[in-house]
Amino acid sequence: MSHASVPAGKYNADNPAPHHFGHHFESAEHEFSSAKQGMWLFMVTEVLMIGAIFVGYLLFRLRFPEAFHEAHKELNVKLGALNTVILIISSATMVLGVTAAQRGNNRRSIGMLITTIFLGGCFCLVKYFEYTHKFHEGIFPGGLYHFEGLTVPHAPLFFSFYFVMTGIHAFHVVVGMCLITWIITRIKRGQISKEFFTPVELVGFYWHFVDLVWIFLFPLLYLLG
Amino acid sequence: MSNSHDNHGHGSHGEGHGHYIIPDATIYKTLGALLVLTGITVGLSFVHLGTWNFVVGMLVAAMKAYLVASIFMNLSHDDKSNSVIFVSGFFFLAIFIGLTAPDFLFRGDIFTEGKQIMLPVKGVSQFKRPWEPTPEIVAHGKAIFMQQCVSCHGPEGKGDGPAAAALVPHPRNFTSADGWGNGRKPSQIFKTLKEGRPGTGMASFATIPAEDRWTLAHYVASLGPNVLKDTPEDLKAAGVDTSKDTLGDTEAPSIPITAAMKILDAETAKDGLKGNIKPGHDDLEGYGERVEARTFNPNL
Ligand code: HEC
Repeated sequence: MSHASVPAGKYNADNPAPHHFGHHFESAEHEFSSAKQGMWLFMVTEVLMIGAIFVGYLLFRLRFPEAFHEAHKELNVKLGALNTVILIISSATMVLGVTAAQRGNNRRSIGMLITTIFLGGCFCLVKYFEYTHKFHEGIFPGGLYHFEGLTVPHAPLFFSFYFVMTGIHAFHVVVGMCLITWIITRIKRGQISKEFFTPVELVGFYWHFVDLVWIFLFPLLYLLG
Repeated sequence: MSNSHDNHGHGSHGEGHGHYIIPDATIYKTLGALLVLTGITVGLSFVHLGTWNFVVGMLVAAMKAYLVASIFMNLSHDDKSNSVIFVSGFFFLAIFIGLTAPDFLFRGDIFTEGKQIMLPVKGVSQFKRPWEPTPEIVAHGKAIFMQQCVSCHGPEGKGDGPAAAALVPHPRNFTSADGWGNGRKPSQIFKTLKEGRPGTGMASFATIPAEDRWTLAHYVASLGPNVLKDTPEDLKAAGVDTSKDTLGDTEAPSIPITAAMKILDAETAKDGLKGNIKPGHDDLEGYGERVEARTFNPNL
């Protein structure tokens, strides 16, 4: 193949390297669909992990409705809604980045991916302000709770769920931002082309999944009394 | 792209062929729909529909999730097997909820019914000078008594709770002055609660915070034919510094009640006694665990 003689470093976003699928696959299509299936399986494990915490939350909420009702009023709906909007827009910029890569428009793809990272950063910033405000008031998870303003029995249980659920979610957002950064460097090195965009699409899935989780977290924690 | 690589050569066959690419217009429409649905969820949360709030909120969230999964994650144009995989995750989640909820919600004694006693935050006292009875203190003691003691001592403290018949010696009758071992003064009852009555069904309740044990002691004392009072010497003997307003941290660390039950069991076995809890008695089956469950810390 002619590209074998091309010196390293010649490839870049505008001039990506041709892709060779692994020898254990029948075709590039086969390789792509296998990778995608693996990603879906991984997301099922994520559903089950986060789902387990959801089940715990729902059952304790059924058990202690008043406590959960009183406690959820402490959360700031405006900030929660803002973060919901931020994440939804970031999901859209993510698909725009993926479709740009699929069409071979790598520059546009990089732009969209950087926007996505930026929006992820905004989400984390809002979360940071929410957390520090809670800590300042004495709202900590579990036994560390010492907020004087709300002493309903079991209220701390609500905040334990709040911190664990949103904490795991925020961790996923940060991981997603790292993955997108990795994707951008791969595009810049010319490893992504309209013939090979598997990593971009799979990281996109991951990002949408993080958005999906928040779509449930927001009403469950902030809205539904 | 502009280079002349032969994409149809062996091994570099493009996967882009036939791959569905979501049109930009679809993306913007989906984004709009998601934002509108978010607005609806927020708006609905201010309308009071009772439990319907929850149902509607979750339905809207499910619609949003469907849009993200089918359009952004492209499941609608993807191999069906991927949809099956993803949906199977939720199927197993449903099984999980379906099996856990009935167990959790209908197993009577995981939590006591009715008013929960809020354990005092460590170092912060709910009552000043809990060794001096006030109506609030006695009422607080009664609330704990109704949770922790009625199974043996009965709702009126007459020693006739459902488990009483199985216990030798019988639980004390608090409305009578007879038969007391440690005595009826609050400080003496406090001692009973802290140490238990070794070799009897009266275990140590040292897992209940000292302050709450004082309230219990006052409630039990208030049931007596005549209410006895502590002298300053009694209080001193019970470790109370009456010059202060709060209980000092003078207590040795307590052990969990299950551990106490095991020690008690071992002691009775060593002494060659048959054990004072008749085996196979329904009310006492798993007694230790149930007591433990009742002292579930509402702070956590
Ligand atoms: C497992 C059943 C059981 C439970 C639960 C129980 N007790 Fe007892 N209690 C007994 C028995 C049996 C005796 C009699 C012990 C004896 O004869 O020395 C007793 C005796 C007592 C005495 C009299 C001690 C003395 O000086 O003779 C007091 C006071 C007392 N219990 C308080 C309580 C309080 C308060 C609670 C709730 C926190 C409680 N008990 C829970 C079984 C129980």
